[in-house]
Parts: sequence; C-alpha cells; structure tokens
Amino acid sequence: MATQKNLDARGLTCPSPVLLVKDALEAETVPQSLSVQVDNEAARENVTRFLQSRGFTVNSTADGDDWVITATGGAAGAPAPEAVPRPAPAAGTRKIMVVVAATAMGRGDDVLGEKLLISYLKTLEEMGPELWRLVFINGGVKLTVTGSPVLEELQAYERNGLLILACGTCLEHFKLTADKQVGQTTNMLDIVTAMQLADSVITLG
Amino acid sequence: MCGLEIPTDERVLIGIGTADDAGVYKVSEELALIQTVDFFTPIVDDPYAFGRIAAANALSDVYAMGGQPKTAMNIVAFPAQKLPMEVLRQTLAGGMETLKRAGVALIGGHSIEDDEFKYGLSVTGFIHPERILANRGLRLGDRLILTKPLGTGIINTAIKGGLASEQTVAEVTEQMAALNDTAARIMAGCNVSACTDITGFGLLGHLAEMIDTTGAAVRIDSAQVPLLAEALEFARIGFVPAGAYRNKTFRGHLVDLQPGVDPILLDVFFDPQTSGGLLFGCPAEAVERVLDQLRAAGIVRAAAIGEVIDAGREALIIA
Repeated sequence: MATQKNLDARGLTCPSPVLLVKDALEAETVPQSLSVQVDNEAARENVTRFLQSRGFTVNSTADGDDWVITATGGAAGAPAPEAVPRPAPAAGTRKIMVVVAATAMGRGDDVLGEKLLISYLKTLEEMGPELWRLVFINGGVKLTVTGSPVLEELQAYERNGLLILACGTCLEHFKLTADKQVGQTTNMLDIVTAMQLADSVITLG
Repeated sequence: MCGLEIPTDERVLIGIGTADDAGVYKVSEELALIQTVDFFTPIVDDPYAFGRIAAANALSDVYAMGGQPKTAMNIVAFPAQKLPMEVLRQTLAGGMETLKRAGVALIGGHSIEDDEFKYGLSVTGFIHPERILANRGLRLGDRLILTKPLGTGIINTAIKGGLASEQTVAEVTEQMAALNDTAARIMAGCNVSACTDITGFGLLGHLAEMIDTTGAAVRIDSAQVPLLAEALEFARIGFVPAGAYRNKTFRGHLVDLQPGVDPILLDVFFDPQTSGGLLFGCPAEAVERVLDQLRAAGIVRAAAIGEVIDAGREALIIA
C-alpha cells in the first residue's frame, strides 16, 4: 500500500529539518513518498541530500519564499542507503574491503603462507581509516575462533571500530560456530552487497 | 556595519576594515596591543570541554597575528533558572585550564542572565608593531600549511542530530580545544608571509580574504586537506550548517573545481570552523622542516594543502 506523508519544516534551522524527515522515515509505517516544506536554502539542500542518501528520487519547487521538496520511490524496493550512485570518493576516503579466504597467504609453502598471513593481518592497521571491512570466508574463519594466532589483533581492530565479518556457513561447515571470538556472523547477501559498495576489494588465499 | 562611521585614531594599526582576526593598537615603538573577543552557545555537551574550546578559540586570533596573549576577561550569559550553577562552574574551570596552559591571566569578566547559555572571552595580547602578521601578504610560490583538520561545523551539526559516534565527538572536541600556540611558534620560524586562523568563513572563505585584491590564485590539493573523521559522510547526507552554504554562496564565484574532485568536499572546505587551525604561507623550501616540527610537537594532522600561483586572476582552484 502506497503511503504519503507531508511534513512542514518551515521555521526550523539546520539540522532540525533533516531530523524531522529522519524521524518520519524511521516511523512504523515508512512512507513511500514524502513532501517537505522548507523556508531556507540550507534546509532545502540538506533535506534533498538526506532523502537522496535514503534512496529517494527528489525534486524541489519554489513556492513563494518557501520550497516544496517532493520525494518518491522510498520504502520497500528502494536501494540500500549507501547504494545510491555517488561521485568518486576523494583520496583518503576510499573503502577497502579485505577478504581472507584461507589460513595461508599465497601458494608454495603453507607453513610460510601461514606466517605471512599472520604478519599481514597484524600489519593491516597501516591501511588507516580506508580499511572498511575485514571478511573471513572458507578456511579463513579459523582465524576468528579460539586459539587463532591473530585473535588479539582482530579484537583490537574491532574495538577501534572496524567491522569484521565471519561467514556463518563456513563456521558451521568447520563446526566452529560456538568458538567464534571476534566479528559478526554474516551471510552471502551481506558479502555480495559489501563487495559492491567497496571501492576496492583485496582477496587473500 | 555599512554606512556607520567607525571611530578610530592614528595609532590603530589594524582595525575593522581589513577583516583581520583582531584589532591592533600601537602603544609605543616597541609595543602594540592585540585585542579580540569571541563567545558562543555550547557546541558540546560537556561543560568543561566547552570552556576549554571557547578559550582556545578566543586566544587563537592573537596567535594568528603572531602575538602573545597576556590577559583575558570572561563573558557569560547564563540561564540560572534552567541550568544548574555547576554547569557554569565547570565551563569556567575549563576556560581557566586553557588560560593557564597558555600563560594568560584572567583579570575579570561580566555575566548576565539570559535565556540561552553563552560563554567566551575577550583577550588582549602583546606584539611588536613591526612584526604583526596579517592575513594579506601571501607571495607567489608560497606553500599553504593548515594545522588542524576541517569539519567542526558539520560534525557539530551531526552531534545536534545525535548522529556522531562517541569517537568522533572525542576527536572533534580535542581538535577544538587544542591551542594554536605551538603552531604559531613553529610558524614564526619559517619566513611566514601571511596567516589567519580558520573560523566562521571556512577554509575557502578565509583563503578568499587572503588573496582578495592581490591578483593571486591558490591551488588546493584536496587530497592533502586534513578532514575530521565522518565530516564528508555527514555532509553527503545533509548535515551541513547553513553557514557553510552562505560561505559558498558568498565566495563560490572564485572557486574553480577541477574535474574528478568530489563536489561535497566544497561544503567541508566552506564549513565554518570553531577554534580552527592556523593557515599560513611559507616558502616551499621550508615546508618539510615546518611540517616535521609541527608533527614532532604533536600537531599531527598539519599538512601542506596547496600553493599560491599566478592564474591570471584571483581564484580558488580545487584540484
């Protein structure tokens, strides 16, 4: 069922108009279309950006000294907030996703490969804020469980705000679900979406 | 103050006319007074932190002119019916901590009852009349150094909306509370040509003032400009203060945004800053040494963000 909501944000200064819209979008019944009245340029620009970031198609028309912003295409079927096409990110704001798909790095000698991977994961923080997601799949999930040689490091990354994901199917396959000590359990849909959103995906293993 | 006759005398070295950071009055051949005042409503929830930020912000104008702040007076508007007195006490304590660190004496103040809490200081500093560092004076080829990351206005807007993470609140608070004293001392050792502190007009607004009527252009390497965490993200989803849009409208005609540069960056570059960093010009050969000194002194986000060039017109080229 299509829902429509009208909001009056006149007389409000930033960030109140955006917060009014945000509340409306977080209400029990999420509107599929929305009209917002604003009376200043900053509010018009900010509300437009906010609705676009939530997947709406946005138009605004002048109404005397005010503007009416109309937004359509929200709610079910809208792309995820971050899936909206956006300009190329500036340097320093790239999103790098690292996928660890094994317990060793490279091929040739697995003992060496394991050492290399441990060293790699300990050094990973040098990427700085561009490191956006760290995902463990297949044998890689063994690094997220009790006894992992990099558990402390991974837990420290997580405390510092890095989102670490471990493949749930893989944990189950190795019967390690109960032993996971770091990261959130994830599924293939999350992984596919994250790969799409990342500016760069690095796969190891 | 258009149309009003501004009282002045021949000892006023820098007055209202040049949009400089503070006024300067010549006392003798060796001594001039720098005077400045600033106050505002709370921008963070923690009153002690608010006090520190307000003091660092008020002192900054003196540092930006190359002077040494000496005395300060509190300015307080407080709703005693609405807020506990402890809030005021904590705010003043925060301000005093910063004054102590800066070696500045608090010699008085004035408070009134008001509906909305406001705090700030008037500050007086000393400078040699011939060593005043103005915001005009950039030379062709000068490199521009910025000592604090940008985005306090955007982050503060997001804080009002309850969206900023604790980590971001902590980062922005520390940046705003940081004194510009050390940066000013290091800057003084590099044959500096001009300086300002980044406040209400944002980086590009202040740069526009620095090149106004000089005929010079600046080229900003946007990848080098330090930004507070999340500032760009919050700008993208609509948490830009009205002042940033006003700054952009006022000075936007000077901006030449090169292809491939994220236009949202402009909002961060025009974002009004509270207690922003120093922005100064120094010779290219001094840049590495100055940056090393700044970083060694703990000013780790300092960066060389661009240079003064001849583009045949005044322009802010964002590359």
